[in-house]
Amino acid sequence: MESVTTQDVTRNDFPWKISYHPERCTMCGSCTAACTFNAIAPVMARRDLTVSRKSFPEPVREHMARPVIAQKNDVDNACVGCGMCEKVCPNQAIAPVRNPDSRFPLLARAQGPVKRGGRTNLNAQRTLDSIIVGRISQMTDPSLDSERHTFDIRSPLGRVLKADELPFRVEGDNLVLTGATPPVHWIYPAIFSDMSIGALSTRAWEALALATACLNEKHDMPVRMCSGEGGMPIKLLESPQLKYVILQIASGHFGWNRIIKALPKMKTDPAGVLIKIGQGAKPGDGGLLPAAKVAPHIQAIRGVPKADLLSPPNHQGLYSIEESVQKMHLSLNAAFGFRIPVAIKCAASATSVSVYNNLLRDPYKICGGFFIDGIQGGTGAANEVSLDHTGHPVVSKLRDCYLAAVMQGLQGQIPLWAGGGIGMTGNAAADVFKMLCLGANGVIMAKILIQLLGCVGNERGRCNACSTGKCPTGICTQDPRLVRRLDIDRGAENIVRYMLAFDSELRKLLAPVGNSSLPVGRSDALVSTDKAVADKLGIQYAC
Amino acid sequence: MLRLNTVQNNTRLSTQELLLTIGAAVERGETDFYIEASGQHDIGGPLWNRDGGKLTFRVVNPGQRVGCMCMANTEILVEGSAPADVGWLNAGGRIVVSGDAGDTAGHCAAAGVIYIGGSAGARSGSLMKHDPLYEAPEFWVLEHVGSFSFEFMGGGKAVVCGHNCQDMPSVLGERPCVGMVGGVVYVRGPVSQLRPDVRLSRLNDEDIAWLAGGMEQFLAAVNRADLRDSLRVWGQWRKITALAYEERAHGRAVSLAEFRAGQWVGGGIFSDVFSDDFRVNGLLARGDYRLRAPVWENALHAAPCEFSCPASIPSQRRFNLLREGRVDEACRLVLDFTPFPGSVCGAVCPNPCMESCTRAGVDHPVLIGGLGSLSANIRVEKEAAPSGRHVGIIGGGVGGLTAAWQLARMGHAVTVYEADRVMGGKLEQVIPRQRLNRHVLRGELQRIEDMGVTFVTDCAVDAEKFGELRKGHDALIVATGGHVPRIFPWPGHERITAGIDFLKAVNRGEKPEVPENVIVIGCGNAGMDAAAGAYAMGARRVVCIDVQKPAAFAHEIAHIQGLGGKLLWPVRTREITDKGLITEDGVLIPGEMVIITIGEAPDISYIGEEVKKFRDWLIPGEDMSILEGVFAVGDVIKPGLLVHAIGSGRQAALAADAWLRGEKYVPEAKKAVAGERLRTASFARCHGCDLPRPQDDFARCVSCGTCRDCKMCLKSCPEQAIERKDLEKGGFEYLSDPERCIGCGICAGVCPCGVWAMQANWDMS
Repeated sequence: MESVTTQDVTRNDFPWKISYHPERCTMCGSCTAACTFNAIAPVMARRDLTVSRKSFPEPVREHMARPVIAQKNDVDNACVGCGMCEKVCPNQAIAPVRNPDSRFPLLARAQGPVKRGGRTNLNAQRTLDSIIVGRISQMTDPSLDSERHTFDIRSPLGRVLKADELPFRVEGDNLVLTGATPPVHWIYPAIFSDMSIGALSTRAWEALALATACLNEKHDMPVRMCSGEGGMPIKLLESPQLKYVILQIASGHFGWNRIIKALPKMKTDPAGVLIKIGQGAKPGDGGLLPAAKVAPHIQAIRGVPKADLLSPPNHQGLYSIEESVQKMHLSLNAAFGFRIPVAIKCAASATSVSVYNNLLRDPYKICGGFFIDGIQGGTGAANEVSLDHTGHPVVSKLRDCYLAAVMQGLQGQIPLWAGGGIGMTGNAAADVFKMLCLGANGVIMAKILIQLLGCVGNERGRCNACSTGKCPTGICTQDPRLVRRLDIDRGAENIVRYMLAFDSELRKLLAPVGNSSLPVGRSDALVSTDKAVADKLGIQYAC
Repeated sequence: MLRLNTVQNNTRLSTQELLLTIGAAVERGETDFYIEASGQHDIGGPLWNRDGGKLTFRVVNPGQRVGCMCMANTEILVEGSAPADVGWLNAGGRIVVSGDAGDTAGHCAAAGVIYIGGSAGARSGSLMKHDPLYEAPEFWVLEHVGSFSFEFMGGGKAVVCGHNCQDMPSVLGERPCVGMVGGVVYVRGPVSQLRPDVRLSRLNDEDIAWLAGGMEQFLAAVNRADLRDSLRVWGQWRKITALAYEERAHGRAVSLAEFRAGQWVGGGIFSDVFSDDFRVNGLLARGDYRLRAPVWENALHAAPCEFSCPASIPSQRRFNLLREGRVDEACRLVLDFTPFPGSVCGAVCPNPCMESCTRAGVDHPVLIGGLGSLSANIRVEKEAAPSGRHVGIIGGGVGGLTAAWQLARMGHAVTVYEADRVMGGKLEQVIPRQRLNRHVLRGELQRIEDMGVTFVTDCAVDAEKFGELRKGHDALIVATGGHVPRIFPWPGHERITAGIDFLKAVNRGEKPEVPENVIVIGCGNAGMDAAAGAYAMGARRVVCIDVQKPAAFAHEIAHIQGLGGKLLWPVRTREITDKGLITEDGVLIPGEMVIITIGEAPDISYIGEEVKKFRDWLIPGEDMSILEGVFAVGDVIKPGLLVHAIGSGRQAALAADAWLRGEKYVPEAKKAVAGERLRTASFARCHGCDLPRPQDDFARCVSCGTCRDCKMCLKSCPEQAIERKDLEKGGFEYLSDPERCIGCGICAGVCPCGVWAMQANWDMS
């Protein structure tokens, strides 16, 4: 007699159930050995039966016990659906299957608030998917050949001055610069967005840096990567390839000691500095690196002992956007001799336009970009309630910011970079094109990059165990055993190849509208099949 | 020769009128035309003479697309310049423009020759092709072409002579040859930056031979033979050709491994803080890279039988010895824990070992109790040499005698002082005779005496005697048990008979008088004993009451019920009268005799000194001592089963021995094996089958926590990582080879005993 009560937690309560075919299983042990979550284990199963094999009822009790793979019943070892078992099984005997009857949201909370990585699960519907590139130039303004024509795919990072603000003097037929202008870098319109050393494994982070350098040096794509708030590796700070990296400073200020100390040894300036005020996935919350991922090298780079590393929700000592411009922008501009752009990143929110307006009024002209991050942005470890229930869709917010600048004739002066869910459906180029047409100068993208490295997480609750330190792909963990699962070259190569495809797809969208440079603000190129979206964004409605 | 003047009397012929006129003339057989055009389009093609004759058009002031779709055998000579699309889709004609040509001259030309005596506009020569059925098209320009020329060119030969424009930044304008996939462009003069899919190279002899020949005809056609020498400086020429399909990149990304090796920070950017050789492991790994590793935790955890036995008898070890055929050792082993395997384990003990037996969840507990009886008559030799120390034990019950037995085996001289006239304590005095074979008890007492223990009976100990014994012994053990009955002060309580006194009287053979109706208060095992005693002494009806659910074992209750006894609960007593017991609810339970069995307290008044107590009971220290060199055992500490007293007797003996040797006694910590580690599925359920004899029950024993040497792990390991090794000092061990093991946990999954444990591999960070 089995002793089970109705309140016992069983695999039926979990978001993923293991589907297992014992008749295909040879007990090779691969699935259990590969499962980082320890969610499955071999056990002996009783196969006893009373059978009758004669032509009349003659009961014979037959006993057999055989080993099988069983899913564990405890919440701590619940299957996350990563599917490594399925991947490694030579006989297709095992696989996780989504369980529509999951009671996990209740059970997991009974043990405390749920933390997880990934992206929002509840707000995965995307405005961008109801927008189509609807204006295809044909006769009136000839389109270009996407594959054979040349395109100027560059966006500014840095404060762009209006023509009449440029410090020029006319000397005969020449214009002579009479004063300093803010630094502006013309870069590729996609920035590999801030995932920290710590959130990512060393190999994953290095793969991003490697792909960035390769795209710059081998494929003429000046993509920049933002470091994230977990500091920087000294070796990269001292390398010429630092020029591809935007350094991030966030409320935790992790790793800045090593960055400052490396200043005299830098062979080149970094690509810029990004001041992170907030992120779309968990606005109003600071960064969070669970202790499980604070390995010795992370402790060294960040300068803290093993603990849950919680960045404060705000920059201590900053109380207004004006003060932020004064203190953070000024100091970080000054630290690098006013030679590199300093930008700011905020979570999209009801107040984004006010913040942008304030920045536009900056009399010092030292704000080199406004980055807004929407609710569909990713995170390595957030409280699920923040991830799913706080934030702001980025598309209309970007549009509002852009139009606010247009109304003042100030568009293009502080570049708008937007992100949060870019590439969620797999096609980042289409997303980028639409965002550009709505007024973005470029986009920031992150989760798609780790997905290209091999991350299997998605918006429907698969894996998303970035907070546990048990990442099965070696991307979001600091466990050297798991990190070793990640092929840095193959991962970086995937990103490079994706970006090459991205580039050609972006051209494929640029060409039909006849733009050989980026169509920033060309909202006439878009139509929406959703009337509300069309009205809100001020684009044509089509059906 | 047909001369057509397109403007007459201030009226201009439309393109349509002109073309229809020309068409009609060609149809009539006209072959020579002189056309003074006024911007009419499409002059010159597609037209042909029915007899295959040559058509010649001399044209001035044409409109767009002069010579478009021009057929072979057609010659068009434009005097002066022509606007856009000269020779568009030229299919074989010879078209000469002596002046400049507009945009897209030669666009899509696939045959014939086009000569431009000046320059040509933007996108000239774009999409030229070469149909292999015909000669390649030629497109000659004396000066330069506009931007985007030769875009998407797929074949043919173009020549841009750069006459008079060597100072231009580019004689091909901006972005020439974009998307060019075939053909060749010969060019003399500066060329702006070309796309990587075309190649700019020097001429070879073949090129020069072709150019030299063609140049003569071109210059003659445009009447510039004077330029012959200046244009024939072949060193000034280059040619542009497209990369072959095979030579193109086709979206090939650079190898990141090569890039990392050649152009990246050596050793990786984290090499100062994190050592990484960048090798890649698959999902399966061995050795240090396994996620988990198995550990053979043999006998690390107690089986449930051992764990729940207050005397910690490791019955799984006894069954393992039996399985190996080592019957003697199996029987002897129990004597290391108790001198009463026959009297207690095999007879009166409720056997908590069997109650907790893993096998109980499968079918029926392994027959551990019965195994005890097998050891009733086993003799063991005294192994230890005499220590010269003398230990006195006050109380000859199971607790004291167990301590005596253990201490004697350790080599100490032991004397047991018993107040009663015989040794045995409650086994002798209280346990109903029918539950315990006296011969077994006598035999086991004799075995203790044979071990060299001195029995002193009829020796009640008072304070004075206690002092005397303390002086006379190196250590003293207090094991006088609980003999003071607990009775509540209900009205009429003086009528109550103490159960312990009643049972003692029965056992002494005094045959106490018992009326017809007896009430027993307390439904524990002692209550059932009292009820049984009452029936044995002649009672007709016995009612047992309790305030809670009867605590006696089911078979004890069943025994009393079988005799006709009734158990009532919950019942609270208000008063005892001569009629019987009146409950709190005012109900009378008739009975002439009321026996109470709700426990006994110890009498420790003989210990004169201050000792730590809780109510009537002693509280010993962790080393079982209550005073310097005085240790407490059994019911003086806490009321319990006989086996509790046996357990504490052994512990006190170990504690006393440690104390005598000047060592610190640390009680053994028992850890029970976790139930989920055991795999009972391998055991067939005993379906109505006969249970074996206890000594043969080793097959059913799961051997929880201790390896039963079944080799399930050895034969299940998919990597053949497990090895069984005989140990030199006897016994065996199982080892898992880290170099083979992948950490799958199958060994732990199939091990019935829960001996293999999967542990997280060592912390690599």
